[in-house]
Amino acid sequence: MNSIERIHNILHRQPVDRIGLFEHFWGDTHRKWTEEGHLRPGESIEDHFGFDIQNCWCFNLVAKLDFEPEVIEETDETILQRDGNGAVLRRHKLHDATPEHVDFLVKDRAGWEEHIKPFLTPERARINFDAYRQARRFAADRERFFCWGGVNVFELMHPVCGHEYMLMGMAVDPDWVKDMVNTFAEVTVALMETLFAEEGYPDGIWFYEDMGFKGRPFMSADMYREIVFPGHQRTVGFAKSAGLPVIMHSCGYVEPLVPGMIDAGIDCLQVIEVKAGMDLIQLYRDYGDRLSFMGGMDVRILYSNDRGAIEEELQRKIPVVKGNYGYVLHSDHSIPDQVEYESYKYFVDRGLELGRY
Amino acid sequence: MAEILEQLAMCIERGKVNASSPYPPDLKGQEGADELCKKALDDGLAPNDILANGLVVGMNAIGRKFSKNEVFVPDVLMAAKAMTAAMEHLRPFFDSGEATFKGTFVVGTVQGDLHDIGKNLVAMVVEGGGYKVVDLGVDVSPEKFLDAVKGNPGATVGLSALLTTTMVNMEKTVSLVKEAVPGTKVIVGGAPLTQEFADKIGADAYSPDPQGALDFLAAASA
Repeated sequence: MNSIERIHNILHRQPVDRIGLFEHFWGDTHRKWTEEGHLRPGESIEDHFGFDIQNCWCFNLVAKLDFEPEVIEETDETILQRDGNGAVLRRHKLHDATPEHVDFLVKDRAGWEEHIKPFLTPERARINFDAYRQARRFAADRERFFCWGGVNVFELMHPVCGHEYMLMGMAVDPDWVKDMVNTFAEVTVALMETLFAEEGYPDGIWFYEDMGFKGRPFMSADMYREIVFPGHQRTVGFAKSAGLPVIMHSCGYVEPLVPGMIDAGIDCLQVIEVKAGMDLIQLYRDYGDRLSFMGGMDVRILYSNDRGAIEEELQRKIPVVKGNYGYVLHSDHSIPDQVEYESYKYFVDRGLELGRY
Repeated sequence: MAEILEQLAMCIERGKVNASSPYPPDLKGQEGADELCKKALDDGLAPNDILANGLVVGMNAIGRKFSKNEVFVPDVLMAAKAMTAAMEHLRPFFDSGEATFKGTFVVGTVQGDLHDIGKNLVAMVVEGGGYKVVDLGVDVSPEKFLDAVKGNPGATVGLSALLTTTMVNMEKTVSLVKEAVPGTKVIVGGAPLTQEFADKIGADAYSPDPQGALDFLAAASA
């Protein structure tokens, strides 16, 4: 069974030879493991560990495509820039991290209608056709399950106006936020139609959509249903109408939103962040008949580099969640450089051993 | 408690900023925290009384509901916005010393980490609880935390981190602050943190939510 067949079956909860394998890494980890000689310079981490999935992120949905990021301030460690959304963001130069939200041109409906909405057209320049074509061929050569990857509406809105204005907007002016959801959903679907018509379909769709933080989602389940769900229904519905399975990523605690995400049509929930309160086994028991899972392995245990603890985590979870053939081994976020190569290798080797059918 | 303070507390809890604010829909057209706080001062109520029996009551109510997952971030943000509108009227009294805060809370996201939503929520709830908040922002070095503690004697420190890669910087900050200014209380929070980690690095407390930070401050100053 190759990776394409395996992941296809896992997403449909059909019999497979073993659980799937995929992972995300902080950039520092790849660099450190290469410096330590575990990976050859330039070696693909997917090839090295034999991952089953490959993602390609090839859309640019910044409002003003031609805007050259304007550097406002730069230090040895950070850079403060205004981007094509009119957002002023501070990024760390030395390691990967979410940027600090410093200021936004868009704080309400008027700002959105003036500075962003008119520019969000589905023009070809938003698509990196070459990257998609090459990644699709690369994955096909390795018989790896190939996903178009990109962000969905929630993750597209906050770069424009920040979490705080977006969340206050959900309370004060929900029609404004609904308009943003609808606009981003339509432009995403239009761009997908263009790309797939010219370059061919991927094996699946991967949406990144961070809707939670520690212990709770950013919004109530009711607010999700009213405001964000229509965007998920539109984008996921488009994928499903083309026969493409959908994986949706969300950091944080999103359990109250899962029924809505299932109704929108997703096939797999990723990343199931334990430290935010997500419980892989409980999710499996509650939704395992309708949903596949990827992740949910506590990364804090991995960076303890304690083989016994890693073994215990794998033993406790894999025999349960492999039950319906719908599980892909993955940490509950990304692997930081505190995780030793040998620890991660052990995690993969033992995980796949336990995940054999 | 004066009826106006009950109304003010309700407006803070419900996130009713001012008369022109359309939120919440059922209070549309009614006076909000902005107008009621000004009116309370005009009626001769003491700023400390307004803070303790209006603002603090409202923010405490929303903080507790947030802890119990009865409300969500948009509700807390709107409550904080209402509180800020009311606080603008009280600020001159605090600046002149006529009114006093319950204490000072120095808060920031630790070095290497640029996340600010969780830290901002904590700062809002703690300020609404009647404390002066010195928000150092994000990517704050241990030395900068120490300078702020020295500049605000008796302050309690709140450290936030979202990343597993940066929570290690909390330990350096806790050590530096406690070594240089013994007796300083430090509370930590953030997605990857646990009570076990807080104990290990010598922090005085860990809280999974903003209200926990406020409760810790109240207990520490009792």
